[in-house]
Amino acid sequence: MAEFKPKIVVFACNWCTYAALDLAGTSRMKYPANFRVIKVMCSGRVDPQFVLEAFKQGADGVIVAGCHPGDCHYVNGNMKTLRRMTMLKKMLEEMGIEKERFRLEWISAAEATKWVQVANEMVEQVKALGPLKPRLEVKE
Amino acid sequence: MSEEIRIGVYVCHCGLNIAGVVNVKEVVEYAKTLPNVVVAKDYVFMCSAPGQAMIKEDIKEHKLNRVVVAACSPAMHEPTFRGVLGDAGLNPYLFEMANIREHCSWVHPDDKEAATEKAKELVRMAVAKARLLEPLEKIKSAVRPAVLVIGGGVAGLRATLDLVERGFDVYLVEKRSVLGGNAVKLGELAYTTLTGKDVVNSLVEKIKANPKAHIFLNSEVEKVDGSIGDFRVTVTRRLGEGKEEKIELNVGAIIVAIGYDPYEPAIGEYGYKTTDKVVTLFQLMDILSEEGPTKGELLIGGIRPKSLAFILCVGSLSTTPNAKPYCSRMCCSASLKTILKIKEKYPDIDVYVFYKDMRTYGKEEDLYWKAIENEVKFIRFDEAPSVKPRDKFVEVEAFDTTIQERIAIPVDAVVLANGMVPATDTEKIRIMLKIGCGADGFLKEAHLKLRPVEALTDGIFLAGVATGPKNIIESIASGSAAAAKAATIVTKEEIEVEPLIARVNEDMCSGCGICAALCPYEAITIEVKEDGKRISKVNSMLCKGCGTCAAACPSGAMQQSGFKDNQVMAQVVATFRGE
Amino acid sequence: MKPVVVVGGGIAGIQAALDLADQGVKVYLVEKSPSIGGRMAQLDKTFPTLDCSSCILTPKMVAVDRHENIELLTYAEVKEVVGEPGNFKVKILKKPRYVDVDKCTGCGQCVMKCPVKVPNEFNLGMDMRKAIYIPFPQAVPLKATIDPEHCLYFTKGVCRVCERFCPPKAINFNQKPEEIELNVAAIIVATGFSLDDARKRGEYGYGKYPNVYTNLEFERLLSSTGPTKGEIVRRSDGRHPKKIAFIQCVCSRDELTNKYCSAICCMASTKEAILAKEHLPDVECTIFFMDVRAFGKGYQEFFERAKQEFGVRFVRARPAKIEEDPKTRNLIVYYEDTETSRFTKEEFDMVVLAVALRPILPESLVKSGLIQPDNYGFADVPEMYIEPVRASKPGIFVIGVLQSPKDIPDSVIQAGAAAMRAAIYAISG
Repeated sequence: MAEFKPKIVVFACNWCTYAALDLAGTSRMKYPANFRVIKVMCSGRVDPQFVLEAFKQGADGVIVAGCHPGDCHYVNGNMKTLRRMTMLKKMLEEMGIEKERFRLEWISAAEATKWVQVANEMVEQVKALGPLKPRLEVKE
Repeated sequence: MSEEIRIGVYVCHCGLNIAGVVNVKEVVEYAKTLPNVVVAKDYVFMCSAPGQAMIKEDIKEHKLNRVVVAACSPAMHEPTFRGVLGDAGLNPYLFEMANIREHCSWVHPDDKEAATEKAKELVRMAVAKARLLEPLEKIKSAVRPAVLVIGGGVAGLRATLDLVERGFDVYLVEKRSVLGGNAVKLGELAYTTLTGKDVVNSLVEKIKANPKAHIFLNSEVEKVDGSIGDFRVTVTRRLGEGKEEKIELNVGAIIVAIGYDPYEPAIGEYGYKTTDKVVTLFQLMDILSEEGPTKGELLIGGIRPKSLAFILCVGSLSTTPNAKPYCSRMCCSASLKTILKIKEKYPDIDVYVFYKDMRTYGKEEDLYWKAIENEVKFIRFDEAPSVKPRDKFVEVEAFDTTIQERIAIPVDAVVLANGMVPATDTEKIRIMLKIGCGADGFLKEAHLKLRPVEALTDGIFLAGVATGPKNIIESIASGSAAAAKAATIVTKEEIEVEPLIARVNEDMCSGCGICAALCPYEAITIEVKEDGKRISKVNSMLCKGCGTCAAACPSGAMQQSGFKDNQVMAQVVATFRGE
Repeated sequence: MKPVVVVGGGIAGIQAALDLADQGVKVYLVEKSPSIGGRMAQLDKTFPTLDCSSCILTPKMVAVDRHENIELLTYAEVKEVVGEPGNFKVKILKKPRYVDVDKCTGCGQCVMKCPVKVPNEFNLGMDMRKAIYIPFPQAVPLKATIDPEHCLYFTKGVCRVCERFCPPKAINFNQKPEEIELNVAAIIVATGFSLDDARKRGEYGYGKYPNVYTNLEFERLLSSTGPTKGEIVRRSDGRHPKKIAFIQCVCSRDELTNKYCSAICCMASTKEAILAKEHLPDVECTIFFMDVRAFGKGYQEFFERAKQEFGVRFVRARPAKIEEDPKTRNLIVYYEDTETSRFTKEEFDMVVLAVALRPILPESLVKSGLIQPDNYGFADVPEMYIEPVRASKPGIFVIGVLQSPKDIPDSVIQAGAAAMRAAIYAISG
C-alpha cells in the first residue's frame, strides 16, 4: 500500500502565524510538506464553514492559527476565533471527525520553532489516525 | 461580469532559492493546464526590472486581467507586483501570490518531488482565488501634519529636533520628569570630552527654542486609535498630588523611542549586592560623571580601588542562567572607553578584563589597541567567572582559555559590564500599538535589513534601543532615520490605505446586528431605512479589515474585500482538486 | 525647495535617495558605474535572515528608477563641488555609453554578437563579459554600455558589429562626455568600499594559489548569477570542495595593514559557511577567527545556529601561513588553536579570506576639503555624537562604509538619517 500522505489545510492570520511560517522559511527550518496555507488577515475571518468545507473536500486535518490572546492585530479577533472554534470542535466530533484532526493554535510572528513543532505533531497524529473516512461511511 | 477571465502565471526561480528545489518548468507547464490561464512563464528573478517588464508586456499582449506570481512571501513582494499591474493599467488588486519560497522550497529542500507537487498546488490555489478577484480602489485619508514621539532619550530627542526643524509639530511624551533617558548618566563619551549630558543638553536646548516642539513630561501614552495619517492619541500627564490630566492628540505618524533598561544582575550574580565592591558598568559610568554621587571621583564601596576587574557579557550571551542569549553590542566598547578614562586619571590602577569575545567592532577596535598599550590585562573565559568577596578584596576566578589554566585574581572592586534589556514599557506599548516583538523581547522592525526603523504597522516607526542594543551614536542616527520615515508620511496631504475592508450587500442584509456587536472598531452601525428595513453600514474610515464580521454574518451579506467567502472557498476547493 | 545630490548608488545611496524623494525632495543620484546596486548586488544572501540579496535589493533599484522625484545619473562622476550649505554647485561628468539609452531596450543582442571578451568586474574577473555589456541581469538602468578600452572600434577602428545588429539602432559611436552643473542644497556621499588587496598578507597565498578566494569572490560563486551559476567549484580543477577554511581578519585588526575591525566579516563568513553547507551538504566548513563579533540584532543567535544546527566549526586562531600541495592544489593551513595552545596544520581544499573593507573616498570632495579622511582613511565625522552622518563641512553627509565599516541595516539607518538632515536644507533652500 502506498504511504499515507495526509493533506492538512492551515488557515493562518497575516500578522502572526503567516509571518511565523515565513520566518521558518528564512531560517531554513524543515517541516513536512503536508500543509497548504490559506492566508486571512485575522483568524477572526475564519468562518467555521471554511473548515467544514476543507474536511468535505478531503482534508485529513485542519489547523486554524492566529496571534496569541492579547496580541491580536485587530484588538481581539482571536478571542472570537477561540469561541467559534471551540464550538466547531464539538460539532466535528459529533460528525465523527476525530478531535486530533482539528487544532486551534496561537503562533506569534517570532515562533517559527513552535510552528515546526505543531506541524510535526499534527502530521504524526493524523498519520496515526489514517485518512479521514468518507462521509457516507461515517453516517452509517 | 461577462468579461472573460485571462490569467497570467509567473513562476520565479529566485536564483536557486526556488529553482534549486522546485522544478520550476514543471510548475509552469502545470499552470498552463489550469482554466483561464492564458500564459505561464518562468524567470530567474521575477522582481527584477526585466521580470517586471515581462509581466507588463504580457498584460498588454495577452490582454491579461488577472496575474498570479509564484515566488517569495507576499510580505516581501506583493506591493512590488501590485505596482507592476498598476503600471500596466490593470487594477493592482487583480493580483494573487503563491508563496513557493518561504512556504515551500526553503522548508522542503530534501524532498524535491514533494516540494514541486506542493508548489503546483499552491499555484492552483492562487489561480482559483485570482479568478474571483475584483478590482478595488485604495481608500484616501487626510494626513495630520504632526508626529508623536514616545520617549525622550537621545533617539527621541534627535527625531523630535529633526522634525520640528523640518517644519512639523511634534508631541514628545516622556514618562519621567526630565529628558535625556539613560544617556545623561553615561559620563564622558569615547574619543571626546563631551559627556552624555552635554549631548542631551545640546539637543534639548534647540528643541525648547523651537515653537513646533510640544514637550509633555511626567506623561504616558494611554491609548492610540486610528491609523496611518490619522492617529488619535490619549496622553495622561501626572500633575502632582495624585492629580492627572488627559490630553488628546491627533497625529499622522508615531515614533517609538522607548529605549532600554540596563540589565539588573540578580542578587549574588557575580557577587552583585552581596558586597559594595561589585558595581555594574552603568553604575560605574554614573560614579565617574561629574553629576554622579561622588562628583566624578572613583570611589567604590567607599574606597579608591587600586585594582579593578571588569567582567564582560553580564546579562548577555547566556553567560549565566539569568542572562539573555543576545549580544548587547555596546558593552565591550563602553567598558574599554571607561577603562581608558580611568587610566588617564588614575594611571596606577591595574585593570583586568574578563571577556568572552572582544567585540569592539569597526573603528572601535582602536579602544582595544589603546587598552593593550595601557597594559590592561585581558583574560578570556568560556565559563562565567566566579566572584568571591573576601575581607578586604574581591577574588575573581576563571578558567583562562588562552593559557588553559584556572586563575584567581584579587582586586579591590569588580565592574559588571551589564547589557541592555527591553524597557519595562515595551510590552505595554507593543500591545497598545499592535506592533510585534521578536524572541529577544525588543520591538520588531518591518524588515531587519532594509526597513530597520519601520514597525510592521503602517505609520509607526522605531528609533534607538527599542528595537535592540545600540550605542549612543547609532541610537541618534536611528532617531534621524525614523524622523525621515515619519516625514515621508506627514509631508503628504492625504494617504492611501488598503481597501481590504468589509462591505455589505444591502439586499442580502437582514439587519440582525451580529456584525455590529462583534466589530472591535465600532465601524459598523445599524441603519433603519425609510421603509423600515434594517441594514448594516460599514464606516470605511474606521474599518481595519479583520473580517470577523464577515465570518459571523449568517446571510453572507457582509463580505471582506480580498477575502470574500467565495474567494476563500475557492482556495479550499483548489487545495484538493483542479477543475 | 532645492534638490539634493546623492553620490553612490549602493544600498546606502539608494535608500537615502528614496527617503528624500518620498519627502517630496528632488534628488539626483549619481553612480559611477553603468548600474546602481553597489556591493549588495554582488552578495548572494544576507545575514542573519538569509534573505536573498537581489530579492530585497532589486525592487528598491526599480523604485529609484520609477520615482518621479529621482533623476538617475549612472556612468557619471562628480568632478567638482564648491559652495556652502544650502547652496552647493556640483559639476558632474556623464561618461559616454556610446549607446542611446532612450532607444536601448536592454535586449542584449549586441552583447551576444560582440566578439571581444573582457574580464567581468561584476564577477570579480572570474568570468568574461563583452566589450559591450550589461553589468548584471537585474541592472538598473537595463541598458548596454560600450567599454572603449576594449571595444575593437575604439582600439582598432574596426568591427561595429553591435551597431549592425542592434534592433532599435541605439549604438552611437559619436557620443561625447557631457558635463552637467547642478545647484543643490546638500550632498549625501555614499561611495562605499572595495576590498583591500589580500596579497598584502602574502602568507595566505592569494593570487598565487588558485584555490584561495576572497569572500566577495566566494559570494559570486554562491550566486546563481555568478560565474559558475551557483556551483561551488575550485579554480584549479572545477571540483567541488570537501573542506573549506574561512580565515577572518585578513588585513583587518592588523598592525601592518588596517588596525580597525571590518565589522561585517564574522557574520558574512558565518553566513557563507551555512550557504556552502546548503549547496554541498557534505562539505566541512571551518572558520578561523580571533573574536566572533556577532554584535547586531539576531547575530549571536545566527552564530549559535551555525555551530549547532549547521555544524560549522569555529577555531579561535589566526593562521600563520598557508602552503599549497602542488599536486592536489590543496591548501595546508598552519595555526595555533588559542583555546588549546596547540600548534598544528590542517589540509583544506578551498580557503576563503575575509578581507578588510577599504573606503572609496570621492576625490573631488576630498580635494576641496568638504570631506576629510580620518586616521584610517574613512570619511571623518567630527560631530559624531550630535550629527552622526555629517562630514567635516556642514551640508555634506557621509554614510555607509565610506564613514566606517558597517553592515546593511546600519548603512540603511544612516541613509535615513542623512536624508532627514539633507531634507531640512532642501526645504529652506
